[in-house]
Amino acid sequence: MRLLLVEDDTMIGESVRIGLQQDGFAVDWVQDGRAAELALETNSYDTLLLDLGLPRKSGLDVLAALRRRGDAIPVLILTARDAVADRVQGLDTGADDYLVKPFDLDELSARVRALLRRKAGRAGPVIQIGALTINPATHEVSLDGKPIALSAREFALIHALAARPGVVFSRAQLEEKLYGWGHEVESNTVEVYVHSLRRKLGAGFIRNVRGVGYMVPKRI
Amino acid sequence: MSSIRRRLLLWLLSGLALAVVAAGARMYTQTLAEANDLFDYHLRQMAASLPNDAFGPLPPSSSNALKIEDGLVVQIWDRNGLELYFSRPASKLPQRAELGFSTVDTPHGSWRVFSALERNNVVQVAQPMSVRRDLAAGMALRALVPLLLLLPVLGILIWLTIGRGLQPLERMAEALDRRTPDSLDALPLDGLPNEIRPLVQAVNDLLGRLARALESQKAFVADAAHELRTPLTAVQLQIQLAQRAKTAEEREAAFAQLKRGQSRAAHLVQQLLTLARQEPGVAPQPHSAVDLSEAVRLVVSEHAPLAADKEINLGLSHEEQARISGDFDALRVMLGNLVDNAIRYTPAGGTVDVALRLRDRNAVIEISDTGPGIPQEDRARVFDRFYRREATHVPGSGLGLAIVKNIADRHHATILLEHRTPGPGLRVSVTFPPAPA
Repeated sequence: MRLLLVEDDTMIGESVRIGLQQDGFAVDWVQDGRAAELALETNSYDTLLLDLGLPRKSGLDVLAALRRRGDAIPVLILTARDAVADRVQGLDTGADDYLVKPFDLDELSARVRALLRRKAGRAGPVIQIGALTINPATHEVSLDGKPIALSAREFALIHALAARPGVVFSRAQLEEKLYGWGHEVESNTVEVYVHSLRRKLGAGFIRNVRGVGYMVPKRI
Repeated sequence: MSSIRRRLLLWLLSGLALAVVAAGARMYTQTLAEANDLFDYHLRQMAASLPNDAFGPLPPSSSNALKIEDGLVVQIWDRNGLELYFSRPASKLPQRAELGFSTVDTPHGSWRVFSALERNNVVQVAQPMSVRRDLAAGMALRALVPLLLLLPVLGILIWLTIGRGLQPLERMAEALDRRTPDSLDALPLDGLPNEIRPLVQAVNDLLGRLARALESQKAFVADAAHELRTPLTAVQLQIQLAQRAKTAEEREAAFAQLKRGQSRAAHLVQQLLTLARQEPGVAPQPHSAVDLSEAVRLVVSEHAPLAADKEINLGLSHEEQARISGDFDALRVMLGNLVDNAIRYTPAGGTVDVALRLRDRNAVIEISDTGPGIPQEDRARVFDRFYRREATHVPGSGLGLAIVKNIADRHHATILLEHRTPGPGLRVSVTFPPAPA
């Protein structure tokens, strides 16, 4: 799952980026409002983490423009403004959640997972597809109740596919979900991970749609 | 006795009582004078109206022919001094040779005597002066009694009027009493007597100043709390990363980050404290004679290691002797902040020059750098608390120049930001007024 983090403070931005990466997210980080808009236009993200007090363009302006364009990306505001009026304004401008600084990394991760869950139309914390169970919070995957050991990238890939069963993802889209900026992506990486996942989970879970990409079917 | 009411009452009533007494005295003397004229006339008439032929020796008891008023004494002698008539033998008056009016002192008090020569007899009519004095005193008293009775009534009226006049003060005191510490809006001026209005006006001015000071304090605390949140958030996140670290390298990196976050928070707190100490309204340190060249030398040498780290050529380019009256430690903080800023914003390999000049008896400290400078439109705002120019990637608290401004204000110094010539770069000039002789 790929996130865009917009935070002007270097220390906070760096820490959040590292923390979220440890939790299995691909994180792109920009430090001002204009750069955020540029990143949103050129990449597709699963969630936007937005500070409000930004240089060049305020977080609220970025958010308002985003919603005007009809972009439904889940937005979590991260800010030091804790007044009720500020929260109301943030949520009413189109944010899905509001987290006041200082915040806890684990809570941030949990809220991001909740947003992703809602976006995928699920209420329960666990993704269940046939005999396959995926827990995004603990990164545990089990098949018929038996735990399966996956690497972080393998987990990210199956999580991205299983979060929206029935949707076909292109190879480029999957690469985006696996890697933030600054990572060299080898040409056949996605195939390599798909191959090892099929080996561990069985061939039926990841279907190849020839010439288009991969998907996890809704029913198995 | 500090009650206006009682003091006014005392003085007004004393004054009135004095006036009443004076009026009584005046009335007494006037009435006495009038009574004198009247009775003198009466005496003369009396003497003239005595029966002409009746002057045979008469027994006093059969004097019914003579209608003699109370207190009047009539004595008649013949030309040879033979007593012909005494109206009151018991109070015999000496025979007066002198004709006309005279006043005679006797053991029974003083008498007014009129003597006249009627045919061959000397007629003397006399009256005790006490009659006249009693009359005058009676008149005066009759006039005074109502006035004296009026005094307590006046006293009550004065008491009530003053009470009413002072009511606005009481209302004001009650209104002030009921207030909470943060309700500092002005007191109403309507219906106030002119005498109290200046006081209320002055109180209102003070309340206004207090409200502004309180407002700025509140804003400062709010700003400070808000600004502290950022470094504290960073520290919290860094702690969590350190806790999560699985390998020694990760842990080491996390702790290095944490250390930087902690020192940033500590720096902000330090700057906040410095600023709070230099805020207007805080008891200032006493000013003493300060050798500015000493301060400049000290600040430049303190910052030499930082400059060397960044490969910046920091030095004192010009120096004159200048003394001002000021707070040495505060001035050192101010110059330190300016030099620190210059070093932070100047790219490696640049130059920071500090100069101390005398211009028209004003001491001027100039700090010029070869950094990017500050655009004209931002120059006024950079002194605001927590204002940080956009797109600046140099870390800072946003308080340095606010501190500089406060300290400069306390020394009545002016700060000028301008382009360094030749550019690029910034030149900050701090101009101190000459020390008062």
